[in-house]
Amino acid sequence: MTSPEIVFEEVSKFYGDVLGVNRVTLRIPPGITSLVGPNGSGKTTLMNLMTGLIHPGRGAITVRGLSPRDPERLMRITGYATQYDAAPRGTTGFQFVSTGLLLYGYSQTEAERRAWKALERVSLTEAADRKVAAYSKGMRQRVRLAHAIAHDPEVLVLDEPLNGLDPLVRAETIALFREFAGQGRHVVLSSHVLQEVDVISDQVILIANGTIIAEGQIRSVREEIHEHPSQFLIRCRDASRIASLLFEEDYITEIKLNQDRLGLLVWTRSRQEFSRALTRIALDGHSIESVLAGDENVDALYEYLIGGGR
Amino acid sequence: MNTATLRQVWTIAKLQLRRVFFAKRSLWVYLLALFPSVIFIGHGIDATLDKNRWASRITPAAVLDSIQTGETDEAVLARAGTPINDRRWRHREEDREHRYLMYYDGKRRVNLSFESGILQGRSARTLIDFEEDRLVYAGVFQYFYLRLAIFFGCLGIFMNLFRGEMLDKTLHFWFLVPARREVLLAGKYLAGLIAATLIFTIGATICFGAMLWPQDPAEVQAYWQQNGPSHLFWYGAAAALGCVGYGSVFLAAGLLLRNPIVPAVVLLLWEGINGFLPAMLQKLSVLYYVQSLCPVPPPMDSDVPALMRLLLAPAEPASAGTAILGLLGVTALVLWSASRAVRKLEINYGTD
Repeated sequence: MTSPEIVFEEVSKFYGDVLGVNRVTLRIPPGITSLVGPNGSGKTTLMNLMTGLIHPGRGAITVRGLSPRDPERLMRITGYATQYDAAPRGTTGFQFVSTGLLLYGYSQTEAERRAWKALERVSLTEAADRKVAAYSKGMRQRVRLAHAIAHDPEVLVLDEPLNGLDPLVRAETIALFREFAGQGRHVVLSSHVLQEVDVISDQVILIANGTIIAEGQIRSVREEIHEHPSQFLIRCRDASRIASLLFEEDYITEIKLNQDRLGLLVWTRSRQEFSRALTRIALDGHSIESVLAGDENVDALYEYLIGGGR
Repeated sequence: MNTATLRQVWTIAKLQLRRVFFAKRSLWVYLLALFPSVIFIGHGIDATLDKNRWASRITPAAVLDSIQTGETDEAVLARAGTPINDRRWRHREEDREHRYLMYYDGKRRVNLSFESGILQGRSARTLIDFEEDRLVYAGVFQYFYLRLAIFFGCLGIFMNLFRGEMLDKTLHFWFLVPARREVLLAGKYLAGLIAATLIFTIGATICFGAMLWPQDPAEVQAYWQQNGPSHLFWYGAAAALGCVGYGSVFLAAGLLLRNPIVPAVVLLLWEGINGFLPAMLQKLSVLYYVQSLCPVPPPMDSDVPALMRLLLAPAEPASAGTAILGLLGVTALVLWSASRAVRKLEINYGTD
């Protein structure tokens, strides 16, 4: 039985002397996985490696049990929307998607039917007969997505797929990703718009300088990096007194008092110990109105992990 | 190769063909292929116009042949009648009158040159000389088509199949389909070959037709009954095999090198010095084989320097069978290297 995962084992890729990715080991299960990292971090390199556009200098990759060096089988189950337009000059959106399908061995009729269906799924039927060169950035993004999904792949790889989409289309596109993921398929996408990743991903892979620095569900990733303090916002009446009590705990690294003196921003190395301490303080009669985790979104993670953290 | 693979090769070739035929960068390839036809058509139109213009003033050839040096212009005019052209001028320093009379006998244009009324010299030129035009065509085919047009046309077409798409950032379209890289290579090569062969064989055939068009119909008919079809076939075959050979070389070069100028210069030099190379190395040349297939040797003036003569003529032409098999052998070797290169080819348009 073939593995339903995308597996990277000790994969390294250099472009001459320039590092692409270094000793990457990953197991990507089905669902929506986001690759997050700044420009030049290696996101596209990982995507190109898993689709066989480039080959690793060392290590091994399998995509649902298939090698990227076997495009004949791999590309039947994989659709990849790159950042670049592949449509020849003068081609309409419909022609671009349908001619691509001919290379999969579909008949002209079947290719046209599938192309139309794919364009419908990305809400591009009205512009289907217009030339791709005349499309807006968002429309180009959608026609690339239509091209990638037209053969109904099990693995969908998308490089910055939400760039340039208006809010309505973005919501539709995210719904499409969820539908794909819900059917047990892989949707691997890259983004540096972190809020998008936060909302849509089942798991996230954080990458910087060609190295994976964290992977998993966003909450799990946050917990994995226990060496970085977690941030909590506490609303309370006696902020100064609570701050002094918390400072007695050695896992508390920093406390900031709000200007209204009704709130605290606390950095802790141990979420569990911090939770227990807060319970004790509350039981001692100090009024605590609310406790909010301040850094469970990807922005905060990103700041910690890639931007250097605190 | 099974049927499915062959069908895939053909699908790739069909899609690629549209890109080759209708690309803006193909325009100069069409111009290269058709340029000699324009010259031959121009020559034909010029000769036909002259023939029609002078048709009413034909002087019998026997009369023109009887005119001897030393005769006076008045005597010539009395015997031959009104010329088709009569020009005279006086040289100021020498104080002598010069006169040129031009006659037409239905085939030849005869120029008579007089000084002070006495015939000093005569020259004749056939308006349309089939023999000469066929030699000129042989020269145009070998020196222009084989050495320049097909060479640079294939450079433009085949280098762009991979390198051009890499520059346009569209190559991933082909790499992301369920086809082995070798199949992709075969499909693209087939597309380039069909395009180049059609463009250059049609170009050379139009040029051949343009050469025949103004000739005497009786001569043309006789030619068609003898060597005409065979000549046309071998010119077409040489053009097509030139595309086969150069196409494979430039396809491989497009996979291995970034800059097309480098392989172009190296190959041009290699093909150029072919005549100096040992017999074994001569066989590693496209030009060596395709020149051997040409049915008419190109004209070579007797005053051409020996070095130039060596550069322009194949040292020892191969037989047709050897030439075809040799060229296909060289092509297979080059395509095999290209298939190894395409398997390793990576797409990297820029940083991520």
